[in-house]
Amino acid sequence: MRLAEKVVPFYFGSPDKLLFGCYHEPSLERRRKCAVVVCQPVGHEYINSHRALRQLAARLSDAGFPVLRFDYYGCGDSSGSREEGTILQWLEDISTAISEVRSRTAVVQVCLIGLRLGGTLAMIAAAERADLESMVLWDPVVSGKGYLDGLLRLQKEMLRFRPKPSSAQEPQGYLDVLGFPLSRFLRAELEKIDLPPIAVSPAKDVLVIQSDQTAGEANLKEHFSQTETRLEYQRFDGPQIWRPTSDGSLLVPSQILHSIVRWTHRVHA
Amino acid sequence: MREEAVLFGEVKSLIGILTDPPMRNGNHPKPAVILLNPGIVHRVAPGRIYVGMARALAAMGFVVLRFDFSGIGDSAVRYDNLPFDKSAVRETQDAMHFLEATRGVGRFILLGGCSGARISLQTACCDPRVVGAFLINLQMTEDEGQNSDQVTRSAAFYYWNFALFNLRSWCKLLTGKANYRNILRALGFQARTQFASGGRMSAESIQLAANLRMLAERGAYVTFLYAQSDPRLNDLCEVVGRELKQLRALGKVRVQIIPRSDHTFSSLDDQEKLLKEICELIDAITPATAGAPLNQRQDQPPQSVQETLPHHGGK
Repeated sequence: MRLAEKVVPFYFGSPDKLLFGCYHEPSLERRRKCAVVVCQPVGHEYINSHRALRQLAARLSDAGFPVLRFDYYGCGDSSGSREEGTILQWLEDISTAISEVRSRTAVVQVCLIGLRLGGTLAMIAAAERADLESMVLWDPVVSGKGYLDGLLRLQKEMLRFRPKPSSAQEPQGYLDVLGFPLSRFLRAELEKIDLPPIAVSPAKDVLVIQSDQTAGEANLKEHFSQTETRLEYQRFDGPQIWRPTSDGSLLVPSQILHSIVRWTHRVHA
Repeated sequence: MREEAVLFGEVKSLIGILTDPPMRNGNHPKPAVILLNPGIVHRVAPGRIYVGMARALAAMGFVVLRFDFSGIGDSAVRYDNLPFDKSAVRETQDAMHFLEATRGVGRFILLGGCSGARISLQTACCDPRVVGAFLINLQMTEDEGQNSDQVTRSAAFYYWNFALFNLRSWCKLLTGKANYRNILRALGFQARTQFASGGRMSAESIQLAANLRMLAERGAYVTFLYAQSDPRLNDLCEVVGRELKQLRALGKVRVQIIPRSDHTFSSLDDQEKLLKEICELIDAITPATAGAPLNQRQDQPPQSVQETLPHHGGK
């Protein structure tokens, strides 16, 4: 597939907390009335899934959607240090990104696509705003405690075939999770994530993509049960692309990307 | 310090972040530093190492550009069928042209991890504007990273160089808590490579030795940085060990080992040591000290870093 894409890198947001974004201009002949904001995961999951989410943005823009991928404060190319990231700040960043894509495209309808913690943040942000058209939740984190347990297990696994680091990071207030500092404050915020049922529809249409077979489908269904949201569930057998691979390769799950583009296309036809 | 998103290259398809220092000295401008993709990871690098590195170097007065090669990270793919090693060198030169045009800098330090180290070296060899190259965990061949034996090799290296001397590892082995299948696989791998290693990579070693001599004559600083648990350091010693020894003795090349670290510097401790080492070494290549051999300058490696060559632990 040859994509004649145009990608514009830029900084946006408040001058003291500039966020980095990549705007993918839509294919002109198929331009749609809905813009997409991609909410990425954080830490090593952000690094590992960057390639897949960049591909997803390219496919969506080729299908006519203006797409904004952006980095949260303290993550990726955005300003701030790694230790400064908090859930509250990242939720604010999603709002800033939505405003940015609206002003850049003059399109009102917005679809949020979030992977892992990005999916969870998208859900929380959407429920607070209640002005979004659609949402794609790709293996969202449904339990903060489970998420943290997974990170710590992975860190232990990583230490198996390498010399142990010489200094302990915990006394400084940070846990070392695959080379990313996890502050006590962020850990406490993450522990609180436990999606209770909500009453307000966060978006008219929601697609849930599940490739992690251990994640709670029931929790998500219950979360949306009291709303009028049209919920669609799709399961895929495949690797969890956000996890580190043994040979350092970065995975792009073509089937999932295709499915997301097809669903977004159908919902915003 | 100011960060700016930039587009450059033949068709303005290369995406990068330019980090400017708070103030620049116009009379003695420092060389600009260009950070090259570590493998296929985008310009942020594992653990966001390149972001911290660019900011620290900018705070020291360097202009720093980290960007994505075509087809990696955010940069668009190329359609000219140029092999990666050629297109990456050309794009690194594009980055230098861009910095010359926009920042008026004419001398460059290249820094890259893994395949980025190989591209740094290749570009340094063909472009005299490069005055320094920092090669982190240099891999010797282009397809090495795709070798499925690499994982077993890392495990074998770990067993021979670390676990063998670790009391806890012996306790695990003797109490049945060790993964015996992994250990046997690693030992088997080690035995196979032991027999296969004679006379290895002769053409490569001749080329690499010639390149290092040429760079030394040109006065470019070459620093090899290796994570202590990365088996690639053994490759380097095997391929150009003798040449390296001579050039190091003359102060033309430096080899630094970051202790207790791994290939991707996947702990905060690794990253801190790497950053400290790079800042100190790059600071040494300034107009005030440029021209003097590395071993005659006052810069001492930090205590945490070893400047020695391995004695081929498992080989």
